[in-house]
Amino acid sequence: MMTNNKNFRIQRIFAQNESYLLLIIIAYSIFVTFLNPSFLSPGNLFNLSKSSASMGVLAIGVFVVLLSGGIDISFTAIAISGQYIAVNVLIASGVDNIFFAFLISCLVGVGLGAINGLLVSYFKIPTLIVTLGTLNVFHGLLLTVVGTKAVNSAQLPDCFKAFGATNVFTLTGPDGVNYGLSIFTVIFITVALLTWFILKYTMLGRGIYAIGGDVEAAERAGLNVARIKFFIYCYVGILAGIAGIIHVSLIRYSNPTYLVGTELSVIAPVVLGGTRITGGVGTVIGTILGVAMITLLNNSLILIGLSSFWQEFFTGLIVAISVSLSSYQSRRSVAI
Amino acid sequence: MLGKQLKQTRTTTLFILMICAFVVMSIFLPGKFLTLSNFQSMSSQIPEFGLLAIAIMLAMLTGGIDLSVVSTANLAGVGAALILTGSLFPQLGGYGEGLVVIMAILFALAVSLLCGLVNGFLIAYIGAPAILATLGTMSIFSGIAIVITKGYGIAGFPESFLFIGSGTIFSIPMPLIIFIICTLVMALVLDRTSLGFNLYMLGSNPVAARFSGINNRGILIRTYMLSGLYSGLASIIMISRANSIRPGYGSAYLLQAILVCVLGGVDPSGGYGSISGLVLGIIMLQILQSGFNILAFSPFSKNVIWGLMLILVMVLNFYSSSFSKKPKKLKIQ
Repeated sequence: MMTNNKNFRIQRIFAQNESYLLLIIIAYSIFVTFLNPSFLSPGNLFNLSKSSASMGVLAIGVFVVLLSGGIDISFTAIAISGQYIAVNVLIASGVDNIFFAFLISCLVGVGLGAINGLLVSYFKIPTLIVTLGTLNVFHGLLLTVVGTKAVNSAQLPDCFKAFGATNVFTLTGPDGVNYGLSIFTVIFITVALLTWFILKYTMLGRGIYAIGGDVEAAERAGLNVARIKFFIYCYVGILAGIAGIIHVSLIRYSNPTYLVGTELSVIAPVVLGGTRITGGVGTVIGTILGVAMITLLNNSLILIGLSSFWQEFFTGLIVAISVSLSSYQSRRSVAI
Repeated sequence: MLGKQLKQTRTTTLFILMICAFVVMSIFLPGKFLTLSNFQSMSSQIPEFGLLAIAIMLAMLTGGIDLSVVSTANLAGVGAALILTGSLFPQLGGYGEGLVVIMAILFALAVSLLCGLVNGFLIAYIGAPAILATLGTMSIFSGIAIVITKGYGIAGFPESFLFIGSGTIFSIPMPLIIFIICTLVMALVLDRTSLGFNLYMLGSNPVAARFSGINNRGILIRTYMLSGLYSGLASIIMISRANSIRPGYGSAYLLQAILVCVLGGVDPSGGYGSISGLVLGIIMLQILQSGFNILAFSPFSKNVIWGLMLILVMVLNFYSSSFSKKPKKLKIQ
């Protein structure tokens, strides 16, 4: 009986998409380390986790939308709007406080997300069309109303720079270089845990899975589909606002034309992590692994000696392959 | 019967809207809008994104979407440019300029057909959702174009090739003539051939189509290849008009092309939409666009207006469809 149970558990682990992804990540890391030993140094790994945090937070948001059977491509415009407006308000008001920046950015995010949510839940417009429209409206409004001038490092309030340099703990390597776990990574992990908790243990989260699986069934089961969808797009807005502040603290430069146009590179890791675009299937762990995989790929191309021109090609290739694999698997499992 | 009437009233509404936009522009921009040169520039801009819009419309009719049209056009354009500048098959130069131009066009169309075939294969045989498959191939195609050109542009094409993009016959721009021919051919394909009929069937109900003996996979493959072909045609006009090609060229057309499809009454969930509606949508968008250009609007505010229009049209569609559905529900009760 016990052994049966154990076998079953092992089988379940191997049936999961995430296990394959983890194996691929490990194999690829070994391959890159073999070519360039500096890859697997703790400093490099901490750096990777720091620089991928803003993409990770955005990816968690996209993951929740995909889970509900929708898609959001306006989140980059929301993130840059939150970031640029927060930076400008901080400069104009003279308040030099990172929490205030987060507050403004998240408020902008919720507001813009609510517009998406309203259009999707009330008017029942296909989500791709809504967010394609709002992507252009949000970004166009930001550039025409707020401005197009980039804020450089000297003008940027000090709190962003201080926040970007904050480490939870710092270690000193044998060569005397300091490295440590950045606060960005902690935020990313917190967001991931919170999302996991909402999805797993709240009525709302189960509702997101339910409407992703079958909207009609969810409606008949008594779920308020419109309200859940509205929440989802507001949640994506908040996460985009957080990601916007992380992004400006990382690069110490706020340009309102940044981020927009990188939607695919955020959707790619989510799809790679096994989330199905038709909704209802996907895990937070898968999304994190997907982010790790894409980050590895983007950062190792130069380490293994390929020019950065190949980056877009490989991102597309990985998306196409992972989408094909998961579609092929689901088609086969239906046939059986 | 009701559906046909609804479709007709929608086209009529669009036609009236177009006339309104035209009249408003003519009144408020006297001496600037109603000029021959403005009409010539308008009619040379329509074909580029008009052909891309037809490409997206084909995918939308089957219930999918093709996000890779601009990337396909870029890759095909790079292919044509390599032949035109003699980087690829330089031995062709010995046979004269005419052959080089013809080979370049054929090569571009072959590349675009191949891109369409890849999309069609992923969607029809692997079963990948159209939006994800074309999102992936969008990156792949433009990634290949970037790797080939290393991010630089290719410029300087033979004089006879430039005629396609900037020549005129009886003061009608050449691109417009190509566009009209392509539109008529597509209207014939959709209305008069079994491919067109099956395509609509597949779009409105794939399961019913499958059970009535339609080869869904074959239809999907052919649809996406046609979609690729029209992107290739758009790329030839594009690179000939600009006399250069650079990866990323025309990426703004993607939103505009989707907007035009939705504006022209194509249903994103498949099965509905006509070439006549699409063409009316294209003309209307172009009238507004050239009006904005004359008024010297900033490019960002144009984005706002396109986005707002896209959403507005969908909201109006929501109201019109819920209005037409109401009597039906009453009958059931």
